[in-house]
Amino acid sequence: MNTTKKRLFKSVITGLAAIILPLGVQATSDTPKDMHQLYEDNCASCHGSDHGGYLAPALNSDKLKGRSPTSLRSLIMTGSFDTLMPPFYGRLSDDEIRGLVKYLQTTPKQANPAWTIDDIKASLKVYVKDESTLPAKPTYQINSMDDVIGVAARGKYGRGSGSKAVFINSTTHKQIGEVATGTAAHIIDYNPANPRWAYVKTDTAEIFKIDLYSMQAVRSVKTGYNGPGMGVSRDGKYIMAGSFVPHNAVILDADTLEPLKTFELEGIDPDGKMVSSDSGMILGTPFDDIFAIALENAGQVWVVDLKEGFPVTKIEKVGRHLHDAFLTHGGRKLMIAAYDDNIVAAIDLKDRKIIKKLDAGCVPHVGGGAAVEVDGRTLGFGTNFGDCEKTVVSVWDLDKMEVVKQVPVAGGTESPAAHANAPYVAVDIISKDRRARTIQLIDKLSLEVVKTLDVGGHAYFPEYSADGKFLYVSAGYSGDEVVVYDSTSLEKVASVQMESPAGIFSHGRVRYMTRGLSPDEMKGAK
Amino acid sequence: MRLATFSGLLVLGLGLASIQSANAASIYAGEAKAATVCSQCHGIRTPSADAPFPPLAGRDVEYLKTALKQYRDKTRKSDIMNAIAGSLSDDDINNVATYYAKLKP
Repeated sequence: MNTTKKRLFKSVITGLAAIILPLGVQATSDTPKDMHQLYEDNCASCHGSDHGGYLAPALNSDKLKGRSPTSLRSLIMTGSFDTLMPPFYGRLSDDEIRGLVKYLQTTPKQANPAWTIDDIKASLKVYVKDESTLPAKPTYQINSMDDVIGVAARGKYGRGSGSKAVFINSTTHKQIGEVATGTAAHIIDYNPANPRWAYVKTDTAEIFKIDLYSMQAVRSVKTGYNGPGMGVSRDGKYIMAGSFVPHNAVILDADTLEPLKTFELEGIDPDGKMVSSDSGMILGTPFDDIFAIALENAGQVWVVDLKEGFPVTKIEKVGRHLHDAFLTHGGRKLMIAAYDDNIVAAIDLKDRKIIKKLDAGCVPHVGGGAAVEVDGRTLGFGTNFGDCEKTVVSVWDLDKMEVVKQVPVAGGTESPAAHANAPYVAVDIISKDRRARTIQLIDKLSLEVVKTLDVGGHAYFPEYSADGKFLYVSAGYSGDEVVVYDSTSLEKVASVQMESPAGIFSHGRVRYMTRGLSPDEMKGAK
Repeated sequence: MRLATFSGLLVLGLGLASIQSANAASIYAGEAKAATVCSQCHGIRTPSADAPFPPLAGRDVEYLKTALKQYRDKTRKSDIMNAIAGSLSDDDINNVATYYAKLKP
C-alpha cells in the first residue's frame, strides 16, 4: 500500500471505529460450529480451510494475536484496497462479523483435514450423462479452437455468480461462452489430444471437465479443499491435481474424472527435515508420458510415470519453497522457481536430475513462464515478486543455462507473456500501489523495457492470442474487465467485462507448450 | 510558442477557469479516487452481481454529489458510507461524481 492509500484506509478504519464502538459489544449466540461453517462458506477459499493461509494470509489465533478486534471487524466490513479482500458489509450481519473475529482469534491452525480417495470418488458429479449427445463441432463460429482464450473470473467474493470460466474468441474479442464454477476459477488447462475438452480448477480444488463445443460442464470432482495445481498428460488421458489443503495429490482419469491414485506429499526438505508439503505446480509434458509435481515445502520435484502403479522418481534438494515452473527443449527440461532461494532450478526430466540453479531475482514466481527464440538462442524470461530493492525480470539462455541479463522493471512481477509472432515480452507489475495498474513490455531484441501500459484495476496475467496478434490482460481486483491490445501498436482494441478476472489461458498453449515458442519448433522437438 | 501570441485569449481562459474552479471537476482525479475508494464496493461500471451495493455508473451527477455530501455530514445515515464519505473533500466529491456520471454502465 502506498502512503496515500494507507492513510486513506486508516481514516476509513478510524471513522468506522468511531461509529461502531458506541454500539457496544453485542452478545452473540453463534457456536464455534456455526462459525466454522461461516468461515468455510466465506473465507476458506482464499485463506485456507486449515486456517493456514492460501492466496490470502493465514487467519488463526497465532497470526492474529494482539490484533484489535475492532480493526479486524472494520477490515472484514470494508475489505482491503489493493488486495482481493472484498467488503463483507451487507453480506454478513454485524453479529456474524463479530462472531468470526472472535472465532478466528481463538482458533489455532487446524491439522491437515482429510480428503481421501473415497471423498474424491463421492464428490464426482455428472451433468451430461451421455457425451455422445454433445454436438460434433463448435456451436459458434470459430476458425480454429486455438483461437479460444479462457479467463479465470474469480468473482468479487471468490465465489457466487461472478465466479466462472469465461471463453472468448481471440480474433473477434467476443465472449463465446461461460461456465459457472461456484467458487473462483484459478487454472484452465486444455486437452492436448482432443480440442473440445478444457479443465478448470477452482480455489476450492474442484475440477470441471468442460465441453468447449457446447460451452458447458459435463462433470466435476472435488480433489481437496484448496490448491491450484493441475496438469494434463500429453495423451490427454490423465489429469493430476495437487492441493495445499490437505497435503496430497491425485491422478484422475481425464475422461471420467474418476480418481485412480492418491499421493501423500511429504519428504525430506533441503535442510534435512521431514516435512508434509503443499503441492506446487503440476505439469504434463510433450516429452514423455509423465507428470512432474513440485512439493513446495519439501523442496522436491517428483516425476510420476504414467504406467501401472504410477511409480514416482523423487528429485531432492531442488530448492526451498518451490512454486511454479515452465518447460523448454521439447518439454525435456523443467525450469522451476524456488521462492526462498531466489533461484530457478533447471531439471532434466529424462535423466531426472538437477542441471543447474540460476539466479532469478527476489522471490521468483515464473507464472506460466515464457521462452523466445532470438538470434539462434532460446531465451527464458522469469518474473519474481521482487520483495527487495532489486526489481528485475531475469533472462536466461536456456541452451547454455546461464543468466543473460536481469532487466530492470518498475516493480515486482508475477507472470510473463510472449509469442513467437509478437515483438514484446509482457510482464505484469504487481507492486501494491498505482504501479499495479500497469504492465511493462520488454523488447525481445534489446531486452529493455520499451513501454508501460496503464491497464487499470490490478493488471495481471498477460497472455497473447494464439496468432500472436493481440495481447490480453486482466484488469483484476476491482477493475472488472479484460483489456485487449494490438501486440505491435499496443493500441487498446477491446474490453470484455467480467468480475475480478485473473489468469488468462490461450488454447494455443497446447501447441507451443511454453508461451513464446513456435509450434513448428515443437514439432521438430518430438 | 503559439500560445504566447494568444495571451489575450489565455488571460480570458484563465479567468473562465478561475470562475469554474469551484465546480470544474477532473474526471481523471475522479477516476483515480473511484479506483481506490468507491470501486472496492460499487465496482467501476457495475458492482458484483452478488453485492448489496448500488451501481454508480451513469447516475445523475447532482444526485451523486448530494448523496455523498449527505453521507459526509451524516444527514443520511449509513455506518459505512458516513465513514467513507467523511474522508472526501468537496473536490473529491465533485470529481468522483462527475467521473461516475459520465461512465456508461
